Amino acid sequence: MFSTRAFIKKNKVGNYLKNIREHYIRDDIFCGLESCKSCEVLDTSLTGGFNNKNNLFKFNHYIILDTNIILDQIDILEEDVFGNVIILHTVLKEVKHRSLPVYKRLMSIIENPTRHFYIFTNDHHKDTYINQEKGELINDFNDRCIRKACTWYMKHMPNEKFVLITDDRGNRNTARNEKIKTCTITDYVKNLENSKHLQDKLARKDFHTVVDSDDFYPPHLPTVDIIQGIKDGSLHQGTFRASTSNFLEASVNVDEFEEPVIVQGRAGLNRAVDGDFVAIKILSKDEWISPSDIILEDESVTEGVDEVLEKEKVLKKTQKKANAQPTGMVVGIVRRKWRQYCGILQPSNMDGLFHLFVPADRKIPKVRIETRQAEFLRTQKIIVAIDTWPRHSRYPTGHFVRALGKIGDQATENEVVLLEHDVPHSKFSEEVLSFLPKLPWTIKEGDIAARVDLRGLDICSVDPPGCTDIDDALHCREIEDDKLEVGVHIADVSHFIRPGNALDIEASNRATTVYLVNNRIDMVPVLLSSNLCSLRGGEERFAFSCVWIMDKEANILETRFHKSIIKSKKAMTYEEAQMVIDDKHQVHSIAQSLRNLNSLAKILKRGRLDKGALVLASPEVKILMDSETHDPISVEAKKLFETNSMVEEFMLLANISVAQKILKEFPECALLRRHPTPPPNNFDPLVKAGNHLGFAIKIDSGKNLAASLDEAIREDNPFLNTMLRILATRCMMQAVYFSSGMYQKDEYFHYGLAVPLYTHFTSPIRRYADIIVHRLLAVAIGADCTYPDLLDKHKSTDLCKNLNYRNRMAQYAGRASVAFNTHLFFRGKLQDEEGYVLFVKKNALQILIPKYGLECTLYISEEGKTSPFTYDEDHQTQTAGDIVLHAFDPVIVRLTLDSKNIQHEKFILQLVKPHIEGFSIAPLTEMETKHKLTEIESGKKNKKQKKS
Amino acid sequence: MSNKIHIGIASDRVNPSVALNQRVPKIYTPGEVITEQNELMRGHGTYEEDGCLKSSVAGLKEEVNKLISIKPLKSRYNGEIGDVVVGRITEVQQRRWKVETNSRLDSVLLLSSVNLPGGELRRRSAEDEHMMRKYLQEGDLISAEVQNVFTDGSLSLHTRSLKYGKLSQGVLIKVFPALIKRSKTRFHNLSVGASVILGNNGFIWICPTVNTEEESVGGFIQNLEYIVPIEEREIIARIRNCILALAQSKMMLFDTSILFAFEESKKYAVAELLLPEAMVDVALLTQQRLTLLENQ
Amino acid sequence: MSKKKELVSKIGLRLDGRRADELRRVRCKMGVFSQPDGSAYIEQGLTKVLAAVYGPHQVRGNRSKAQHDSAIVNCQFSMAVFSTSERKKRPRGDRKSSEMSIHLRQALLAAIKVELYPWSQIDIYVEVLHADGGVYPACVNAATLALIDAGIPLKEYVCACSASLANNDIPMVDISHQEEMLGGPTLTIAALPMSEKIVLMEMSQRFHIDHLPKVMAKALKGCKDIKVILDEAVRSHVEDVGCSTGWSNTSQKIKV
Repeated sequence: MFSTRAFIKKNKVGNYLKNIREHYIRDDIFCGLESCKSCEVLDTSLTGGFNNKNNLFKFNHYIILDTNIILDQIDILEEDVFGNVIILHTVLKEVKHRSLPVYKRLMSIIENPTRHFYIFTNDHHKDTYINQEKGELINDFNDRCIRKACTWYMKHMPNEKFVLITDDRGNRNTARNEKIKTCTITDYVKNLENSKHLQDKLARKDFHTVVDSDDFYPPHLPTVDIIQGIKDGSLHQGTFRASTSNFLEASVNVDEFEEPVIVQGRAGLNRAVDGDFVAIKILSKDEWISPSDIILEDESVTEGVDEVLEKEKVLKKTQKKANAQPTGMVVGIVRRKWRQYCGILQPSNMDGLFHLFVPADRKIPKVRIETRQAEFLRTQKIIVAIDTWPRHSRYPTGHFVRALGKIGDQATENEVVLLEHDVPHSKFSEEVLSFLPKLPWTIKEGDIAARVDLRGLDICSVDPPGCTDIDDALHCREIEDDKLEVGVHIADVSHFIRPGNALDIEASNRATTVYLVNNRIDMVPVLLSSNLCSLRGGEERFAFSCVWIMDKEANILETRFHKSIIKSKKAMTYEEAQMVIDDKHQVHSIAQSLRNLNSLAKILKRGRLDKGALVLASPEVKILMDSETHDPISVEAKKLFETNSMVEEFMLLANISVAQKILKEFPECALLRRHPTPPPNNFDPLVKAGNHLGFAIKIDSGKNLAASLDEAIREDNPFLNTMLRILATRCMMQAVYFSSGMYQKDEYFHYGLAVPLYTHFTSPIRRYADIIVHRLLAVAIGADCTYPDLLDKHKSTDLCKNLNYRNRMAQYAGRASVAFNTHLFFRGKLQDEEGYVLFVKKNALQILIPKYGLECTLYISEEGKTSPFTYDEDHQTQTAGDIVLHAFDPVIVRLTLDSKNIQHEKFILQLVKPHIEGFSIAPLTEMETKHKLTEIESGKKNKKQKKS
Repeated sequence: MSNKIHIGIASDRVNPSVALNQRVPKIYTPGEVITEQNELMRGHGTYEEDGCLKSSVAGLKEEVNKLISIKPLKSRYNGEIGDVVVGRITEVQQRRWKVETNSRLDSVLLLSSVNLPGGELRRRSAEDEHMMRKYLQEGDLISAEVQNVFTDGSLSLHTRSLKYGKLSQGVLIKVFPALIKRSKTRFHNLSVGASVILGNNGFIWICPTVNTEEESVGGFIQNLEYIVPIEEREIIARIRNCILALAQSKMMLFDTSILFAFEESKKYAVAELLLPEAMVDVALLTQQRLTLLENQ
Repeated sequence: MSKKKELVSKIGLRLDGRRADELRRVRCKMGVFSQPDGSAYIEQGLTKVLAAVYGPHQVRGNRSKAQHDSAIVNCQFSMAVFSTSERKKRPRGDRKSSEMSIHLRQALLAAIKVELYPWSQIDIYVEVLHADGGVYPACVNAATLALIDAGIPLKEYVCACSASLANNDIPMVDISHQEEMLGGPTLTIAALPMSEKIVLMEMSQRFHIDHLPKVMAKALKGCKDIKVILDEAVRSHVEDVGCSTGWSNTSQKIKV
């Protein structure tokens, strides 16, 4: 069955170790060709039914690829242009070793049967296995393996033709000598039929720009030196984080330093891109600087370097030594983290094939690409991949991947937001849908028997208006002895999503439902999220209930969990519920129970706040959309009712109760949520701001922080407290999911809520974490059985990682969507609005406009002009004449949208009040505003007509 | 010290097997079902389970009427009455010696089963018991005959013949008992000038030829003063090496095979005979001669 | 410490080119020593083990240990200091070796017909020359061969085999060192493959109970496969010796 050969590998782990591994050579490996007579034919996606048509090789042929082709040209491979490709196992291993993302993409191509890719395990095949010779370089050996496989295929199937595609000239020549047909990928693609659009996508590794131009960047150190340097401590490595406000500055988080290390300037950044893992050299202490407080943008439209040099000078001038942080410079890249970037082509008059691409993400530099369809692409949002960044080039070189759609389209912009935040948003596959319950769905006898029947209770749900995925409902009734029975009923999603099936895997990958302004990317198919799981009013639904017996003082006397069947009497909005509570004439049972719930919630909340839970604030807005045009009609801050807080309190209580239960049952693998205590220096901006205003903010404990925030009230500026809370929110760490086995007990603490244990149980329709918690709880109460991955703490840690990542991204995506729509709303508008100074910077004021939740920059020193302001760094103020602007001061600013840069439309702020001569502008009259608005209206109508 | 040290590489090792192409009888291995009939009697190397007779060792089937047993090719020595054994005294006890004879339990040599100096029919006195260590002490080698087999499988020996008794100067080799060919005589005065005792228990004693008529071996006298001439010692050493060579190639040991091997080994120096190649060569040549002899 | 490494590739081959249900190459040899009553050498992949059996013989040393109804069995496990990629400090005496000795004894006791040898003692020594995963199974298998070589009656072969889960789903058999390091928990069982009796089962890590049946079935299948290989080796050895001796010590005289 198999023969064997052992080979020796030397591994360096401190000292030399000899590792011997077996390597079995087989004779039962299938070549992959359907027509093969000598192999035992197994499953293959290679087919005679597919023909590769190429002008270079005017016959049908099979393609064998070199490793570098796959690594560099994966975008081309993803295009559905050629098939019948044989991927050699040695090549595949090499790809996996060099780049995991490319490997994954390749695997998904291979798994797609319509692409006709096949993996041939040449290194275990008896005829294609070869030994690495003494002194033979690994690259040469790999090339030899590939050629060996080619010649074997030619001998094995003399009637078929095989073409080796490689960009390695040496390999090509040797291959030709061995009578293997070969060519470069560029030649191959150029000679494909209908290849025009493909040529743009070819990655450029060869630099055919002017070679005589001076090197613009210092060279990177060779890898050996980097490794050596890191080992002996002269270099450090860390993740490169570009600054959002200054394109010539970045920071690197290095283990050896507490603060991030600053890198500045062209030479300092030295071609690192946000996210790269870089090696840095720390400068001597006298060269250390503090982070710059000016805002610099890369405004150049050509590849010229003058502008950079100019800006560098500006930066140099502003460098300060006070509060200097460790400063360094990038000397090499350990690992690139390049991905594909969304953006647009820079509008310019550049002719020829080369164009600049501006990524939507400001942290990413512009990319130089070659395209023949610039005219068209200028109107599109496009995706581009970076290929290389040579020393002489101002910008990295990349290639066009695909176009997303027209710039400014809702659909395109949504797509961009989703792509930029890595949100899986493709349609649910057939396989996933196949695990949905079949309609019409009915409740079976067995289900009733296994559940507690709560259909008779007066349960109702309270949610925001327009909510279709109702995952929680409440009830409250009086029982004997002045006790209350309070129930929280959560949609029983885990009943429908069984562990391990495609539906479950998809949901766990998506991890959360993403809410965009006008779109919702569901975690589970809509049949579940809006129908079968959703606890709609008047319908019988499965629920997972958490029921407490409480006294009137909201002390919990007993807690029960059980699966149940409920029938919600009514699905209400917060507003409706509030009205019911307030309307003293309504005395029906639901009104009663709501009132009871409300009073209990107040007690609970007070108790929670007393324990030191924080009330934080972040400006949240709601965008009302025109139902027809999907254009935003108005932007307003969200209204909050008492009932919001009521529902929230009971959800918190349910989550806490469940957390206790599952931790008790599964001390090793309970999925919990922790909110780490922020390190004290996180609070620096808050404490500083407080000091300027004369408030002492205590940060030694959550309780003290909450208390000192409560005290920071000033009569003349009611918004000030909210501002402080907004600042406090920004000082917090992210709350994260984790598996209880991976942390110590005292680390489980939830800082924000001030509870020792917390988890997410109440929103299984939109959060996957809740589904897991449901499963754990179900096992704990014996309602369901367990499965392997649930109890594996490493598995659940991996899962938590994904959940945390997706949650963060979903949050960002949501914000980005709001931002885009706010922009859309303001397009062509001119408005004066109230705002507050959030931060005072040297050349700008950061202004928060609570009405729209906007945070914008008001530049106070324009280029070339002298500013009327003087900056006081110690007190963080800007003074002009007798007007002093502090942080948190109210101002009135005029908002306009600068649409010059289509991609980064930005708000231009002008100061209206306080009035500063020569700087501020006169307030708008009502008339002007109206006039403007009507203009827009007519503009909209025009648009509509165009559409129809 | 030897100036030549041979360290062979495992992969270059010579296969010592000199197996002939013969018809192979049915081999049974442990756990294998011998028969499902249950009127048969189970002998050694078999056991009954689930109504089947199964083998418990790897070997060949032997059937004596209804008694079925499986005989392994190699095992500890199973003594039978009349066997000649060579053994070593391990213990001196009350009126008996314990003798290690390669059986699974030590054998017993009773004081009453030995010829004591001063005539066969002498009465054993209490004094004799105190003198036992004088006759035979721990570590002494003896040749003896199996007198009886006890129920627990241990053997009772006797040395009541002048053939048996304490062994004096010579060389002991241990081989697997199965390699000793069954024959009537166990004492061989080889024509090449040495005597060999092929103990049924796999212990082989090689000593200078002694004149049995003149001297009585069956005593307890060791003549350690006598210096064996170098030539004789070389012959003894050569015989030893030849036996080792044959044993390694799993060839049966009997006077003819030893003699043949001795003759075939002449082309090697005695020390060279320990080289694996030489050993196989000797074994092979011996094998050929034996086949020839058999075919004649 | 996520263990995402794929141990069985998409094509169904393991890192060393085996399929999930394939054993490593097994090579074995019996009667490698002349001094002990029985001896054997086995290679399972790169794991190499020597075993020697002395006995049954009179109980030496502390005679009070002798039992009137059965033989006592001693096992000694040791690993050559050069058997692992990092040199070991000592070949035996550490906790792991003592545990191995106990486990070995447990497995072998299940097969040896000790009741046939009252007052006797059987000593089994195993020495690992190279460890490349599956050390315990190789030791059991080697000891079995050595016992057979010594002609000691066994109920049947005792075979051992390891199994684990690849990609958290596919059970695979005979785990190499590399796979032990990369993969999840390894289950080792020693069994009487013909009667399918498991005499020892060992696993030092945890995995979910749902996986147990399939992994156990795989390991048991591995034991049976090994039994076939060992049986073949025993037969060819017996044949070899038999032919050399001319079967002369048996009642069946074979004519040339």
